[in-house]
Amino acid sequence: MTLLRLSGLAAGYGAKTVIADVSFGLEPGQILAFLGHNGAGKTTTLKTVMGLLPPRAGELVFDGQRIERLDVSRRVAMGLRLLPEGRGIFPDLSVAENIDVVAARNVGGAAMFGIADVYRLFPILEERRPTRAGSLSGGQQQMLALALAILGSPRCLLLDEPSIGLAPNLVERLFQQVRDLCRSHAMTAILVEQNVAAAMQIADRVIIMNNGRIVFDGLPHEARESNFWNYF
Amino acid sequence: MLALQLLVTGLVTGCALGVVAISFSLVYATTKIFHVAHAGIYTLGGYLAWSLMTYRVPLALAFLLPVAACAVLGALMQSQLYARLERRRATHLVVLIASLGTLAVIQNIIAAVYTPNILQFPLNWSSRMVAFGPVRLNWTQLLTVAVSVAAYAGTMWFAHRTILGKRIRAVASNPMLADITRLQPQTVYVYVIAIASALVCLPGILVPLDLGLQPYNGVTPLLTATIAMIAGGVGSITGAFVLSVAIAVLQNLSLLVMPGEWSIGVTFFIFVIFMLFRPTGLFAAAR
Repeated sequence: MTLLRLSGLAAGYGAKTVIADVSFGLEPGQILAFLGHNGAGKTTTLKTVMGLLPPRAGELVFDGQRIERLDVSRRVAMGLRLLPEGRGIFPDLSVAENIDVVAARNVGGAAMFGIADVYRLFPILEERRPTRAGSLSGGQQQMLALALAILGSPRCLLLDEPSIGLAPNLVERLFQQVRDLCRSHAMTAILVEQNVAAAMQIADRVIIMNNGRIVFDGLPHEARESNFWNYF
Repeated sequence: MLALQLLVTGLVTGCALGVVAISFSLVYATTKIFHVAHAGIYTLGGYLAWSLMTYRVPLALAFLLPVAACAVLGALMQSQLYARLERRRATHLVVLIASLGTLAVIQNIIAAVYTPNILQFPLNWSSRMVAFGPVRLNWTQLLTVAVSVAAYAGTMWFAHRTILGKRIRAVASNPMLADITRLQPQTVYVYVIAIASALVCLPGILVPLDLGLQPYNGVTPLLTATIAMIAGGVGSITGAFVLSVAIAVLQNLSLLVMPGEWSIGVTFFIFVIFMLFRPTGLFAAAR
């Protein structure tokens, strides 16, 4: 069963079409490393899936339902979650307030992750509860961003460069956490990353974009064996 | 003695101004709209209260009904004007001009209905004096201080202790993330302008209770409140309130050494000096 399917998706800003004919499907629990150089169209694809940017052409199917006309809020309620690049927290609120305010709107009776669950998954956040989120370290900010992204019942995480600005050992820890979450809860993830090596370690599948089009789609070992860097 | 009297009346004016500043700051920090029409809501609140008092409506209702009416009007302004402009991707300048236009419409309707002349409230207790040693204040001034301080404390409590208050601060802090975590910024903007309009109605009634009503008397308080907001640090409720009090006290004390018509000039002078040394404002959160 396919959880998320993009068919012939095109999108852009103003007169400029940034992505064209983007098609792929993801199974529940699959982790996709979504790679490409700067400006290749990865973030644009995520924004279009999330509903922040209207598609110019193509279809989006999530959980068996066409979603390209649904608003952002509806898509979030269905379980699509975006961790935006570098802006995944409310910097002026405390850690506890960040979590409370998102939980209040997203955690219902049968939610997969409630407030207690995210504190259990990220104990450092429990310790830093009263701290202003903007003054946390980079690694702690990304932990908080991931916590906010999973509160409620996420089914597909769209992670836009979550490792940016983090030390290598922190990247490894964060990615392991993403993989464990996806494995244990059958969650799908699209991981947009500049840190190609780290992303490939946890991915089940690799897609590389170049100039708004998919130029490689295959398994991580296939990617490693091919002329990988030529795609960038 | 004159200095002490000026200091105390400055505190009174500053408290009322503080409520204008925190309400404007709530709107600006959250929606990023330079909501000039807020001055119109301030003025309208006073006139509505005047009408109700003239018809001998009980005093509590004469305060509460205008507060509710202003909240509704504010919510309509956001949902029917600003939100429509935003959907059409209007620039900040277009939104500012729409707000200025709304202000002009409100002021002119008031002038047409009530005449542009100064109106005094038909109350006999409001100007009765109370002496505190050498300082004399009237009941309106005492009520102004009590209501304003309560409005400040209430706003602080609301913003930091209630889930809606936290949601408003979250939208102000990162609107994009608020959108993708279902905090629904557009709905929050309606709440914020409604709350701010209810708040600004309080000084909108209390100040004219002391000084009388005029259709165009909302602009100077709003301008001064804007300065207090910026100098206090955009988004800081305490900053906006404290700076309002400080500005009003300084304006009043300046009367000791120079004529009254200079007081606006003094305000701007302080503002410019202040901005040179602390451009992010006194209470700006460390980023």
